[in-house]
Amino acid sequence: MEAAFSRITMTAASAMLLLALVVLWRRHAGAYITAFRTQSIALAVTGAVVASYGGASELFFVSFMILVVKGWIVPSVLSGMDAKRQSARELRPLLNTETSLLVSGALAVAAYEISRPLAEVMNLPTRGGLPIALALVFVSLFIVVSRREVIAQIVGFLMLENGIALLALLGAYGVPLIVELGVFLDVLLGVLVMQAVVYQIHDTSAD
Amino acid sequence: MDPLMTDALVIAAQTAFLIVIAPAVVGYVRLIKARLQGRRGATIIQPYRELRKTFRKGMVIAESASWIFHVAPFAIVGATTAAASLAPVVSTVQPADLVGDLFVLAALLMLGTFFLALGGLDPGTAFGGMGSSREMTVAALTEPTIAIAVLTLALTTGSTSLGAITGTVLKTPAYAIGPGHALAFAAFLIALIAETGRLPVDNPSTHLELTMIHEAMILEYSGPYLALIEWAAAVRLTLLLTLAANLFLPWGMATSLVPAALTVGLCAIVVKLAILGLLLALLETRVAKLRLFRVPELLALSFTLALLGAASSFFTK
Repeated sequence: MEAAFSRITMTAASAMLLLALVVLWRRHAGAYITAFRTQSIALAVTGAVVASYGGASELFFVSFMILVVKGWIVPSVLSGMDAKRQSARELRPLLNTETSLLVSGALAVAAYEISRPLAEVMNLPTRGGLPIALALVFVSLFIVVSRREVIAQIVGFLMLENGIALLALLGAYGVPLIVELGVFLDVLLGVLVMQAVVYQIHDTSAD
Repeated sequence: MDPLMTDALVIAAQTAFLIVIAPAVVGYVRLIKARLQGRRGATIIQPYRELRKTFRKGMVIAESASWIFHVAPFAIVGATTAAASLAPVVSTVQPADLVGDLFVLAALLMLGTFFLALGGLDPGTAFGGMGSSREMTVAALTEPTIAIAVLTLALTTGSTSLGAITGTVLKTPAYAIGPGHALAFAAFLIALIAETGRLPVDNPSTHLELTMIHEAMILEYSGPYLALIEWAAAVRLTLLLTLAANLFLPWGMATSLVPAALTVGLCAIVVKLAILGLLLALLETRVAKLRLFRVPELLALSFTLALLGAASSFFTK
């Protein structure tokens, strides 16, 4: 039972990491947003799994909130932003795809190496997913710094947020509910603010 | 029966099965593709008819061709057959484990690719050389991926022998749902597509020389040589599909050599090949060929997947 729990959380965490890699490989903002939406759904599923196996029932509520806020509202807002973007051209990252993928591979290996001592002293069954969550944080940060377009940077930032949520979920079975709610509000507010100012940012940062 | 005889019989039977069924696998994928594209398509046995016809035809050989051109088809068939003899097909009892493991298999497949590229270069035509150069680019990028995907399997199961890996995964199914296994499987599938020259890396049914990879190398071959190379390519596809099915999802394979288990194993591999062939046809219908300069990106993706798989099985040991 515990072994299956551990395997399922690890596989879900890997799926989330893979969806971050999708951003490095695809070239259209639509694909970025779909990847983020799927990643949020995977996060919600992980939350529900941790809730049912780990006996933390308030996590069911948190998973539901993740599904609504990050799986539905935020991607819709992002899609609206993408539709309003003047240039429908494909995104041009600062680093080419091959290098990006190899760098993220190296980041993932580094994340494994860094989190090994941490995973050794923990005795939660979810500890195997910790390096993957850390790798997701690193790769998302890399997405933020290596993309030129603002919308791609926002997706990277939101994935970073997903990574931190996953880290909390696997490392401590989630943070207190009130903190979680605050984070949701922050994310929602952040995205709305970014939506409002994204064109000004774009005007000053591009070229 | 003499145990040595039994071993030889098991190896010979599994190899013969792969070699005989290979054209049918190609025909099956073509048929499914045709149906998906709204055509009626030829029957599954059409590739056998084509092979028979090609074997009967005379050969036209370029004047500039040297002995390498004549040796290459036999080297390709030999290397592919040798590689096929190592794979566990119906049962996890694979006596060829003693002779060679995954590394030998990868080396034999690479040897086949090497001779194919040489055969393409030898007559000195423009398209042959172009095809060989492209094939080597792709092969150089897929080899590390296959090696690392294999390393992932070897790390989780503690052996590099094909039969031993399938046996271990069959005994402990928890290995098969772990991230290492799943990532290595994804990486292996991409490498498989690139190695066998399927879409989106290469178009197996193209007649446009400028976009060819595999077909460009065999442009100068005709008659029996062409038939041998085509057959070897079919065996290669079947072999890699079998490996994908049996190394990563070994359920249904026989664990002993009793007739009942072997019958189940035979049905299992046919069903698995049918499912994988269906997926391959679906993929080939859905995607367009990648621009040649985007192929390295796809292969970098598969390399990263393999690396992640290896990292997760190495550090979470």
